[in-house]
Formats: sequence, structure tokens, C-alpha cells
Amino acid sequence: MRKLSAPLLLLRNEISKALRRKLPYFGLFAVTVLCLVIYAAADQLSQASSANAWGYVAFSMLLVFNDLGLIFIIVFAALLFSEETDSGTIRATLAAPVHRWELYLAKAITGLLYMLVLWSVALLVSIVLARIRYHFGAITDAFGVVYPRGTVFRIFLLGFVLSWVPLAALVMYGLFISTLIRSPGAAVAVGIGTIYLIDFTKHLVGLDPYIFTRYIGYSWQILQLVAQGVDYQWQPEIWRMLTLSIGCAVLAMSAGAALFQWRDLNG
Amino acid sequence: MNATPPALSLENVSKRFGHVQAVEQLSLEIEPGQMAGFLGPNGAGKSTTLFMIPRLVRLGGGHIRIFGVDIERDFKTAIRSVGVMVEAPAFYEYLSGRKNLELSARILSIESPRREIDQILDRIGLSSRQHDRVGSYSMGMKQRLGVGRAMLGNPRLLILDEPTNGMDPEGTQEILSFLRDQVRATGLTIFISSHLMSEIEEFCDSVFVINHGRLVASGAVREILKPHRQILRITFRGQAPDIESLSRCEGISTAETIAQDTLEVTLAQRDSAWLNQYLLSRGFQVAALVPKQRSLKEFFLAITGEKNHA
Repeated sequence: MRKLSAPLLLLRNEISKALRRKLPYFGLFAVTVLCLVIYAAADQLSQASSANAWGYVAFSMLLVFNDLGLIFIIVFAALLFSEETDSGTIRATLAAPVHRWELYLAKAITGLLYMLVLWSVALLVSIVLARIRYHFGAITDAFGVVYPRGTVFRIFLLGFVLSWVPLAALVMYGLFISTLIRSPGAAVAVGIGTIYLIDFTKHLVGLDPYIFTRYIGYSWQILQLVAQGVDYQWQPEIWRMLTLSIGCAVLAMSAGAALFQWRDLNG
Repeated sequence: MNATPPALSLENVSKRFGHVQAVEQLSLEIEPGQMAGFLGPNGAGKSTTLFMIPRLVRLGGGHIRIFGVDIERDFKTAIRSVGVMVEAPAFYEYLSGRKNLELSARILSIESPRREIDQILDRIGLSSRQHDRVGSYSMGMKQRLGVGRAMLGNPRLLILDEPTNGMDPEGTQEILSFLRDQVRATGLTIFISSHLMSEIEEFCDSVFVINHGRLVASGAVREILKPHRQILRITFRGQAPDIESLSRCEGISTAETIAQDTLEVTLAQRDSAWLNQYLLSRGFQVAALVPKQRSLKEFFLAITGEKNHA
């Protein structure tokens, strides 16, 4: 049997550990419950959500990832390093033939995988609930078909993929916090705290155009427009979203990896 | 010429944390197949030195070589032959002892991990508790599991930082004897730190003594530690000898009364057998003659001759 490379072995270990934790499952459970609550209250919350199944899914995902999903993603990422640094388990891992960047890469991929799993569960539950009440058909208005079903499907697929980009940046930000702060509790508090602090103050200090978190719900907002049969436009805002999110992700990952590379891991 | 390189070689190793010089120009070499002790009081720089070997703490200066391979040049090759247990071993408490070993075995790409883990669990006496969560283990069990984890992958060099911390005397004896047997049976090299002289003295071949980040003594245990153990506490049956006459005797440096029937004698160039014979020949009945264990502080005073070293 061919031997796996160190990053893959480390990734397998990270997944094994995550599968035996309670927090990831609690995140999935919480997101599912939130989807059910949104389903129960969808009619009162938004008219757009009740237009069709597409609109419902976009609305449900927007609500899930604007709050609860965001929190679980950042908590999971913020614990990846801080918990191991605090308990000392990271020392046993690094006292083996592995490079620090390999472990950083494995942790980053684990964070991204959890984000994708959380996203997939939320989407799956939203789709199942949407099918109970609505129909995934063509988008129509009083004059006929605005977007055929196949076109909507393709636009939604693109929207799904694009929605991962700011969430990936969020994972990298959480991982950076996790590298910076050794105490798991403090890392979680700083991770969530800074995201909300920035969110509340970005308009006041004129930082809004430069903060990637404003784009977390962007794809879902566009998809809601599509579901309503309204003329939609990805460009040019989508380029700003991609540049900002990818830029923040790369910056956070580079800073975190550099910090971790040179950190002394004694007591 | 193809001479066998030392199992571990530290050359002018230094490390500074802010204003604190934790390790300064430390050089030492350990030959393969030895059990070497690393002795020093708390805060002497032992752990920092051991942490630098697997690069958990970045080298401030100097070179560290493992079987001739520089850790800064080829870390993976160098560390592949090393098993490390630094400080209190940490585990994923929510996983079983066995699962913890499996995670470590995976990183080491061990060929038959199941068999090797079975053997190690058996050797460290944790087979019956292997499926229990580590969170339910006692400190001593965790220490044993830590030693077991360090032995995964059959390392040629084992680095253990105070492996008997938190263990009862029986467990300590057991684990150190086990390690000593491994050295004899497999040619394993062990570098073991401790602040307990008795552990090093009983189980190690050589010792490196560190204080304030500097090496203050090194050599064979019998040369470094034993000469400082010539203080004997003697309990007599009946009358104890007069300490003034005893002090004048050649071979005795000092004598001090501890109790009516107990004296403390410091020998010079003589051993306890000689003293026993000497006292018997003068008609004193010795009930007990026990070497007094020196504290590490006394030991440092003795080898450095400076109070500030203690």
C-alpha cells in the first residue's frame, strides 16, 4: 500500500478527532433546528421566500449563514489550534516527522471541510423543507417564463459555489485567531467578538467596503432576486467580493502560518 | 573513516526568552546505547533544552544533531529516529488511550500499527484500560501512556522530560526499570531529565548537570554523583562514640550529633564499609548506617562551590 504524505496523514487525524467531538455535531443540529424554525416562520418573515422553492432556499441559507452558521464556523476554526496549544497535544504532533506548515494546512482544510459540511446540511434541509411547500420549477411572472428551470438551476449552482468564498475567508480568520490566542475560550470570544464588533462599526468608520463579512450573504441575496424573477447582476460587485474575500483569506492564512511557524511551543 | 556519530549532540546551544537567558552555550554529547540523565533544579533550562530538540522551541543559537543529522537542515530525517515526551504528556482526553496511540502511529507511518500498539500497551501495563477514555486515567497512567507513545515507531533515541512526575514510587521504579531494560536489550539511547538525583543515580550511565542554563558538570554517574554521597547517618545500639575523637580520625571529615544514639558523619576518601569496620573494631555496635540523600541544593553547592548556584 502506498504511504500517504504527511499533510494527508495529518488531515486524516484531524478528521478522526473532529468526528469524535460533540461541537461539530451540535453545530449541525443547531443549523437544522434553525432551518426548521425558518420554515415555520417563513411566510411571516419574507414574501420573497414564499414565491417558490428557489426563493425559499436562498432565504433560508441567507438567515442561517448570517448568524448561527457563521458562529459555528468561526468557533470550530478558532478551536483548531488554541485547544491543542492549551492542552499541549500539539507538542506530541509536532515532535514527529511533520513540518509545521503541513499541520497548518491540514487544520485549514479541516476547517474548510467543516464549513462545507455545515453548508451542505443547511442546504439539504432547506431543499427538503422547500419541496414540502413549494416547487422547484421555472421562474414565471404575469407575462410568462422569466427564467427556465435549467437556467435557474445553473445560476443557483454558481451562487452556491460563490457563497463558499467569504465563508472560506471566515475559516481562515478563525484559524488565524486560533494561532494568535492560546486559550480556547479567549480565541472563541475574540473570534466571534471581533466579527460582530466589525459588523456593527464598519459603517461608522467607513470600513464597510473593505470587510469581507458583508459578502457572506451576498450570493443568497442575488439568488433571491433571481427567484423573484427580477433582473439580477453579479458583476461588478462579485469581483469585489472575490478579491476581498480571497485577499482576506490569503492574508489571514499567511499571517497565521507565519506566526505558527516561528512560535515557541513551550509551557 | 566512518565513526558512529553520537546519538545526540548539542553544540553551543542557546535560547533567550526576552530578558531571560534560558540556555547558554550548552554543549553535550550522548553516545548510542546510553541512558543519560539531565539533572537540574526547576527553572534550570532542562525543559527548554529538551523542547529545542524536536524544534518545539526555536533554536536561539548553536546546532543540534541527532545521529549526525542536523535538525535545522533535515528535520524529518533527524526526528524520525527520536521518540519524545516533553513535560506532562498531553492527550486527547475524549479519545481512548489506544486511539491516542493510533493517531500518533498514523503520523509515523508505522507498518503494522495494530501489532505495535498492542505490544506497547502490554509493555506499559495499560492493555486492560486501552479502550477507556484518557480523561478517566490517573496521572501515573497518563505518564505511562506518554512513555508508550514516545516508543512508537521503535525510535533509536528517547527524550523524556521528567517522565515520572506524578507517579507513585512503585510506578516510578517500574517505568525506569523498564526503560533501563530497553537500553540493555535493544541498544536504545535515552536522555531523561529529572530534578530528582536518586532517579538519575540509580538508572543512568551518565549525567549532565545544568543550572541557570549552563552545563555545570557532566560525566559518568559514579564520578559525578556518588562522591557527593559520603554523608552517613549512623544509629548505635548503646553508646555513641565521642564526636571530637571521631572527627580527628583520618578518613572522617566531620561528625555531628543528631540524637543521643545518632551521629552524622562525612567521609573523606573512604566508604561506608570501612566506617562500619572502624566502629566495630572500637567496640561500638552499629544498629543502622544509612547514606544521607543530599538535596539537589546541597549537591549544587558541593559541585559549584558557590552559594549563588543553589
